[in-house]
Amino acid sequence: MESDAFNQGYLTTRVDVVVNWARSNSLMPMPMGLACCAIEMMAFASPKYDVARFGSEAMRFSPRQADLMIVAGWVSYKMAHAIRRVWDQMADPKWVIAMGACASSGGMHRCYGVVQGCDNFLPVDVYIPGCPPRPEAVIHALMDIQEKIRNEYSIARDGAVGEKHRSIEPVRPKIITPDGDAAITPDRLYGQK
Amino acid sequence: MSIIPQIDFGKTLSYWPRHNEAIYRRLESKHAWLEEVRPPDEAESVDPLDNQMVLNMGPQHPATHGVLRCAIQLDGETIEKCVLDIGYLHRGLEKLAESKTYQEFMPYTDRMDYLAPYSNNVAWCLAVEKLAAVEVPERAQWIRMIMSELARISSHLLWMGVALMDAGAVSVFLWTFQFREDLYSIFDEVAGARLTVSHSRIGGLVTDLGGTGIKLIEDFVEHFPAAVVEWEKLLNRNRIWIDRVEGIGVLTPEEAIEFGMTGANLRGSGVGHDIRRFEPYLKYDEVDFTIPTRTEGDALARYFVRMEEMKEAIKIIRQCLDRLPEGEIRSDDAKRSYPGKDEVYYSMEGLIHDFMYTDTGVCPPKGAEVYHAIESPKGELGFYLQSDGTGRPCRARINSPSFSNLQGLENMLEGGTMGDMVVMIGTVDPVLGEADK
Amino acid sequence: MPSEQQPTQPKTLPFLFTPVVSSDESAERENPHVKSTTIVPDVVSGLKERFGEAVRAASVYAGEHTVLIARDRLVEVCTYLKDELGFNFLSDLGGIDRFTDEERYEIFYNLVSIENEQRLRVKIRIDESDLEAPTLTDVFRAADWNERECYDMFGIRFVGHPDLRRMYMPEDFEYHPLRKEFPLLGIPGSLPLPPQSPEAGLTMDPFPAAHGSKPVKSFDEEPGEDLSEIRSEMPSERPDDK
Repeated sequence: MESDAFNQGYLTTRVDVVVNWARSNSLMPMPMGLACCAIEMMAFASPKYDVARFGSEAMRFSPRQADLMIVAGWVSYKMAHAIRRVWDQMADPKWVIAMGACASSGGMHRCYGVVQGCDNFLPVDVYIPGCPPRPEAVIHALMDIQEKIRNEYSIARDGAVGEKHRSIEPVRPKIITPDGDAAITPDRLYGQK
Repeated sequence: MSIIPQIDFGKTLSYWPRHNEAIYRRLESKHAWLEEVRPPDEAESVDPLDNQMVLNMGPQHPATHGVLRCAIQLDGETIEKCVLDIGYLHRGLEKLAESKTYQEFMPYTDRMDYLAPYSNNVAWCLAVEKLAAVEVPERAQWIRMIMSELARISSHLLWMGVALMDAGAVSVFLWTFQFREDLYSIFDEVAGARLTVSHSRIGGLVTDLGGTGIKLIEDFVEHFPAAVVEWEKLLNRNRIWIDRVEGIGVLTPEEAIEFGMTGANLRGSGVGHDIRRFEPYLKYDEVDFTIPTRTEGDALARYFVRMEEMKEAIKIIRQCLDRLPEGEIRSDDAKRSYPGKDEVYYSMEGLIHDFMYTDTGVCPPKGAEVYHAIESPKGELGFYLQSDGTGRPCRARINSPSFSNLQGLENMLEGGTMGDMVVMIGTVDPVLGEADK
Repeated sequence: MPSEQQPTQPKTLPFLFTPVVSSDESAERENPHVKSTTIVPDVVSGLKERFGEAVRAASVYAGEHTVLIARDRLVEVCTYLKDELGFNFLSDLGGIDRFTDEERYEIFYNLVSIENEQRLRVKIRIDESDLEAPTLTDVFRAADWNERECYDMFGIRFVGHPDLRRMYMPEDFEYHPLRKEFPLLGIPGSLPLPPQSPEAGLTMDPFPAAHGSKPVKSFDEEPGEDLSEIRSEMPSERPDDK
């Protein structure tokens, strides 16, 4: 069906899919580089690992222009407030990666000055283990964030006005849907059987 | 005219109100020599372009190389006063050390100056070895030297990429990271980790430098000098770069000593103080190298000193590779260093030694105290250790070079202009993880 | 239990570990890491001659000379060291908590003479009841931040310091972490975290507060009181048991 449509010069899809595709492939990270992980984060942007392949090479140091915060390094109590302030200034939708053991859980720095995990004050989406994680792991976390974004609903939810929402099964774009075109039907979209 | 009464710190800032108030109070009470230099009639005339402004930069700012916070008072474009606030990465390493055995603390040293972790490991191990009078085999000392010099190159490469990026040249960052990746491959091969190597052990090393490692290092030593020459061709006579850094942040030799600057910042000011010469550790008294020194004391001089240091490091590595002897890599005394893994897996005594060393570790005599310093890429990195006879230090004091350099930076910034601030921070090369301990 | 039945320690065991080494066995052995710069007997004897009783003690370990100076004469001694003997570089300065009844705190000064290639450690001792030390900022400007750090970590006040603020911890923090009695994990609730929602106040203590427990305020307080309150709030029987 779709190939016919394509030959006729148009293509049908969902707005959600288009929006999520655009969002997930143009993430602008806000590198909250604190400590050693920041060095690996630089390596992740550098030629060998080249995060530009995933559309995220544009590091934005201004919170207004960023939508993905990578907390790289241990978070001290003194710094936590500054991080939260930067996070509050970022525009929605936004995501957080806790990079490394220190940002995820305090790690080896089990001490009076360090917050035992930045999830104490930030809604973390993806945790990366490692001390510090290798750049490959950071790329993997970025792909996880992209996966998460692809399964988000923003427009579809608004379309079902007046109906009580049931939780909708995640629908993936066609490329990764195992059961083909049938995956995208209004029934499944709005949760009506 | 004070700004402090106009701000209700409790309301404007929900966090650290007393801390922020103290910073701004300090900014006002600080003596500024610029106010004295300014002629009195000029101070009275009202110039619309000449306005005072208090600006807060950091702790999250791309050009502060971490989480440095600067509160500055500007007079037009000129920085009149500057108050630096550090401690945003403070985790209490000195406190942590008191509850760890000497060997357990070593991974923490990796995370101090995370641009050159190997140097920190060596510094810690040498301090403990001095405290407990542990002898290190020859081969281990040479390998430590090779790796410390590679760490120096790695640190200077990052400094170069980031400092030039601060000045506007992004491409240098990409070039230097190519070679940093090569260095990381070497560390990965030799120590098993890219960044946090923890390769040194008290009394030696954990693993020997194998054939692949030596091959990688030889390749690097062969290719790297050509790249430095290329970069120097581009930068040393580059009008944009020279104009940007020449005459910026000048420190006279007397000032540099007075502020306690170390490393390339001290040598850029004409003081040839290098711990490798001053108190030769490892085998530095047996190799031939020069200590680059410049007399100008400005940002450009510091740039030249670091570039020369990279070349000298290559020279040292070449000599080390030539003279690398065969032999043990760890002290044979099981009370003072770990037994080898072969021994641990196949002999009961080795296993017991391993267990006891992990549990108790090396026990220096009660009341012993030593200070051992090395020349890390940033400057004099020293550990002062005091023992109470147990396997854990009674007091471990870290003398971090970045801390001393930042103190000098605070004074250096005063009198500079706002636009040069980033360059000055960049060429002083602070690492906040080390300064904040 | 009669002591005869206990197994005797075999004395030939070569890997016997003793946690405390009482003899100075390793100090007597030649230390391979001794640096020529730290061996400065001339300086020490010169100080003793000139200042007499102000030099309270002098010790050597691993070729490093340490001079213990009376607290009141520190500035005088350091000025002499700087002006006359060329110790112009203050490399390091820090406090030590000895955790003794008398003269609990110690401050060491690591002085370097770049021209003469010498390094000397000077120490002063401070009693807990009188936590004040003379500042060295008039002699060495490099002492500024280090003294602030020492004040932050140990609470030692430096008399005459131009800017005695905390170095690392925020001013709102009330404790001095490197003192031996300070717990490694800190005092719960002493450092706030950001608010959990825009309207809420600062999160003083995320985990215990969420679970309704009240942390013990001091070491003297009985921990049982708080626990009993929590127990009384909990349902006495689980519904599944009925």
